[in-house]
Amino acid sequence: QTTGLVGLAVAENPHERLRILYTKILSVLQNIPKDAAYRKYTEQIVNERFDLVKKETDVQKLQDKLNSGQIEEVIVQAENELSLARKMIQWKPWEPLVEEPPSDQWRWPI
Amino acid sequence: TVRPKNEVEQKQLCAFGEYVAEIMPKYIQQVQVTCFNELELLIHPDGIIPVLTFLRDHTNAQFKSLADLTAVDVPSRQYRFEIVYNLLSLRFNSRIRVKTYTDELTPVDSAVSVHKAANWYEREVWDMYGVFFANHPDLRRILTDYGFEGHPFRKDFPLSGYVEV
Repeated sequence: QTTGLVGLAVAENPHERLRILYTKILSVLQNIPKDAAYRKYTEQIVNERFDLVKKETDVQKLQDKLNSGQIEEVIVQAENELSLARKMIQWKPWEPLVEEPPSDQWRWPI
Repeated sequence: TVRPKNEVEQKQLCAFGEYVAEIMPKYIQQVQVTCFNELELLIHPDGIIPVLTFLRDHTNAQFKSLADLTAVDVPSRQYRFEIVYNLLSLRFNSRIRVKTYTDELTPVDSAVSVHKAANWYEREVWDMYGVFFANHPDLRRILTDYGFEGHPFRKDFPLSGYVEV
């Protein structure tokens, strides 16, 4: 019983952990405006994965269906997504552009 | 002979570029895909840390690896230095380039909080170009001699330097 990856321990009860993480992500996403593209796409991804996790109880088959590496990697990715969602609330990247660049800034060749 | 065009990959990169631009319109000024299928995001300097954290953490864009951090000096522009970050996604096997701009005196946020690998790269950019990185843990010279004055990679620095050897 090993993940095969250095530094990642085998997760006992991954379904529970993923369930908690996905519900936390969805609750954090409620804090950003409904029309933001980030909220739309992340909710879509999280709901897809959440449905797969709820339907499939066998760990091996769940890994194959998610097609995203080991379950432990999926857990790490969900934790990253949660921290990203919390930071997004502070940065608010859905607002319009902060400042236009000077007109010759991105012209190539000069 | 000419390299054959990979239309499928170009379309995928265009679609991904539009996806990222839709999610972060506050910082992304332009998105382009070169003819060699390389995706580039052109960013306002305030958005370095948000964009790099998004590209590292988001499920659709797990660019966990910072492959390179360099600068380009174009003296004729108002913001003469262009900082370039090259990222690699191991999950999706794809690369992306993130570009920002700054002039000689404006500090830029350090990427060390997002990618530990940026530490020495930012020291090199400071040493060679003079771009100051705010919140860098240890910004000092890395390649030039101990009492060296000047920033060698700038375009106005002469090829054989100011000091006779």
